Amino acid sequence: SRYYPTEDKPRKLRSRKTAFSKHKHSLRSSITPGTVLILVAGRHKGKRVVFLKQLDSGLLLVTGPFHLNGCPLRRINQIYTIATKTKLDISGVKLPERLNDKYFNRKQLKKPRHTEGEIFDTKKEVYTVSDERKEDQVAVDKQILDVIRKNKEKKLLFGYLGSMFSLGSRQYPHKMVF
Amino acid sequence: MAEATSTANPPKKLGRLYCKAVFTGYKRGLRNQHENTALLKIDGVGSKSETPFYYGKRCAYVYKAKRKTACPGHDKASRIRVIWGKITRSHGNSGAVRAKFRKNLPSTAMGKRIRVMLYPSQI
Repeated sequence: SRYYPTEDKPRKLRSRKTAFSKHKHSLRSSITPGTVLILVAGRHKGKRVVFLKQLDSGLLLVTGPFHLNGCPLRRINQIYTIATKTKLDISGVKLPERLNDKYFNRKQLKKPRHTEGEIFDTKKEVYTVSDERKEDQVAVDKQILDVIRKNKEKKLLFGYLGSMFSLGSRQYPHKMVF
Repeated sequence: MAEATSTANPPKKLGRLYCKAVFTGYKRGLRNQHENTALLKIDGVGSKSETPFYYGKRCAYVYKAKRKTACPGHDKASRIRVIWGKITRSHGNSGAVRAKFRKNLPSTAMGKRIRVMLYPSQI
């Protein structure tokens, strides 16, 4: 007398949208490992950084190097970068295995809980750099700095990577060659 | 190149990372105007062939108001406000460009500066 449906949950209709994990990530032909990129948005905008590799999520892994311009090992989306023609030979650089998307995921900081009597005691957790990040930064930067030092134009490159990009008067990006 | 003493490098001064543009008016026929599309004249762009670089680029109308409002990325509220938009296509033969903003631009913005950002970048 009661109607019992044959399936417990109604079947989901097939969606034509692909999940992010199945997306294909392309990389602009101007961006190859070792290319110097100009960051155009974000915390480190204006900085010239070295592109290391594209991660599985499609984001680009870059490093300042940290001592030259304060940009750490970081992920960025390629739409926020301008690729320059300056390329370093990174073929010999070995990146630590653990540098992947999971490594760079944002950590959930504990928000202060409002329990009785502790309302004013709990401090807001601030992001601090983990030791493994510092280790990896030093390991990667050492190799990159060595590559720069071996380069013919090392003085130029050090200054280049340490300087910031900005537009001056009468400088129009559509007319510029990067 | 790196000094032995660990004096922190002074924060480097950041310059302009956007192109200058002017809001010249709304898309219009002679007697009717359509405020949902704004016409922009980008500095240095003089012909239609130079505009494809700017397609899709985000643009911002930055202005100041009397009341302070919360601002992303800053603890303190600020008087600066933004209307974001993007450049959609070229307009005419002389390098003007059409843009659509999230909210239509106010008419008081005509003749004022609009910032055309360098992202989303295609180069």
